[in-house]
Amino acid sequence: MSQLQQLQHAFMDYLLASAAVDTPSTLEQTTQTFKDKIAEQGGINADIRMQIYANAYRIRLTETLETDHEMLGIYLGDELFERMAKGYIASQPSAFTSLRNFADALPDYLTQDAFFSQYPIIADIARFERRLLNAFDAFDTERATFSRLQALPAEQWPGCQLRFHPSVQLFQCNSNAVETWQALKQQASPPSPDYQGKRAWLLWRGESRLTEFISLSDYQLALLLGFIGGATFAEQCEMMLAFFSDAQAPVQVLQALQAWFQMGLIRDIA
Amino acid sequence: MAQDVITQAALGFGLGLRTQHFDAVLNTEPDIDWFEVLSENYMVAGGKPRYYLKEIGERYPLVMHGVSLSIGSTDPLNMDYLKALKQLANDVQPQWISDHICWTSIHGVNSHDLLPLPYTEETVKHVAQRIRTVQDFLGRRILMENVSSYLSYQDSSMDEWEFVNAVAEAADCLILLDINNIYVSARNHNFNPLDYLNKINPKRVQQFHLAGHSDYGDYVIDTHDHDVPSSVWDLYRAALKRFGGISTMIERDANIPAFSALEAELTIARNIARDTLGEAHPLNAAKGRKNMQEGKVIA
Repeated sequence: MSQLQQLQHAFMDYLLASAAVDTPSTLEQTTQTFKDKIAEQGGINADIRMQIYANAYRIRLTETLETDHEMLGIYLGDELFERMAKGYIASQPSAFTSLRNFADALPDYLTQDAFFSQYPIIADIARFERRLLNAFDAFDTERATFSRLQALPAEQWPGCQLRFHPSVQLFQCNSNAVETWQALKQQASPPSPDYQGKRAWLLWRGESRLTEFISLSDYQLALLLGFIGGATFAEQCEMMLAFFSDAQAPVQVLQALQAWFQMGLIRDIA
Repeated sequence: MAQDVITQAALGFGLGLRTQHFDAVLNTEPDIDWFEVLSENYMVAGGKPRYYLKEIGERYPLVMHGVSLSIGSTDPLNMDYLKALKQLANDVQPQWISDHICWTSIHGVNSHDLLPLPYTEETVKHVAQRIRTVQDFLGRRILMENVSSYLSYQDSSMDEWEFVNAVAEAADCLILLDINNIYVSARNHNFNPLDYLNKINPKRVQQFHLAGHSDYGDYVIDTHDHDVPSSVWDLYRAALKRFGGISTMIERDANIPAFSALEAELTIARNIARDTLGEAHPLNAAKGRKNMQEGKVIA
């Protein structure tokens, strides 16, 4: 290993150990290994010089969590947010060139952490905020209009499939995470956690580049999942018989499609 | 002699483009000569960041400034990152691309900080060879910036300015001279910032950065969250005298004020350049945006 490589390992080990939770012996050892490579010079001592980098590392990553998960931060309050940030930063060193992705694994961390997993709504709020970010900067494409579907010859309708805009995201959870997020966004008191029943939401970025979301009923979720999975119009009408009568099923599918085109969810018809 | 000039003609006075100012820039089209964009912020598929980048890029010259090249790392160069950088450059058509003389990641772990390198011959060779590879891949010279630092290594065998010159010469790259970083490092390492300025090779300096910092008395942190202080303006004046009219921009990354406040700061830079170099100097006449509007070639 070259001297430069050794030095970089020592520096990174020190940063990671400084951000670790409850490992004083490791920190002591890595601090000394790195300190041995630092020149003593006038002014502040080597410990303070090293600490400046350790603080910057922790602060930068904490600020990223605050920015990406603003409502979660408000929901948790300072103390719990600090606990979450420390735990996540310690367990998930960034492997990304952009901080945009640093918190990608936050929902999984919150699901697995012994403390936070006691309150599943916390991971749900984090997961919802990740979905919002994904919708925000997903790929841009053209969007198809309902008139394109209308222009299709009748015999092609049963076999037609839909391609969705890349910003389209589905979010399902068993808590009132989104209702809580909305309350916090409106600076209102959040409702008490409620785990009664599944909930589903559709997120997407509209034509005006605003990120939007709506709640989905069971049949709407089934329709979206079906079309996203490549099901055809005829297959979807068939599937809707589980929710509606023979006469109503195709009407419901058509109404849903019309709405989706208007919302800018569809980029193409295949 | 003209053929010795490797730097690009000055674009004038620019600002770092920040998301908070997207609408202000598009709606008011302020009299700014050019904008610097943070490359990593636009390495996303689409949405608002890419929309605004395109719209503003149609109205102003842009330069791309990165923070994740990790040119000094002993990890292999991140080719996925470089491909994304090249793709972004193809989309943006920037006037130039820059990053920092530092390292940010090792073993695939990113510190997201601009960590200092030891100033040794070994490091010069290592960094220069990697810059050459990057330049070959991108098909252009890049600018490399001096970083602020808070510690020195026992291994270092030269001064920072010697290191910066040696890297730039060996890599045949250009220099982005951050005036604030020189001031910050001078305070933290107790050297005279004018010594630094006076030793940097003027032939390779293509851009200046100006910024504010946090002064804690015993040490100074490069926070980019304050106005440019008088100490940095003084150093800018000295830099203009030594290097002449160099494209100048103000970096503000935190505690971001209204766009008008940054415009006012840029006016201070313009006034200092006018007083130091004279009204007729090409920097003061440089109008990157005006040239663009008139369809003139900027490069």
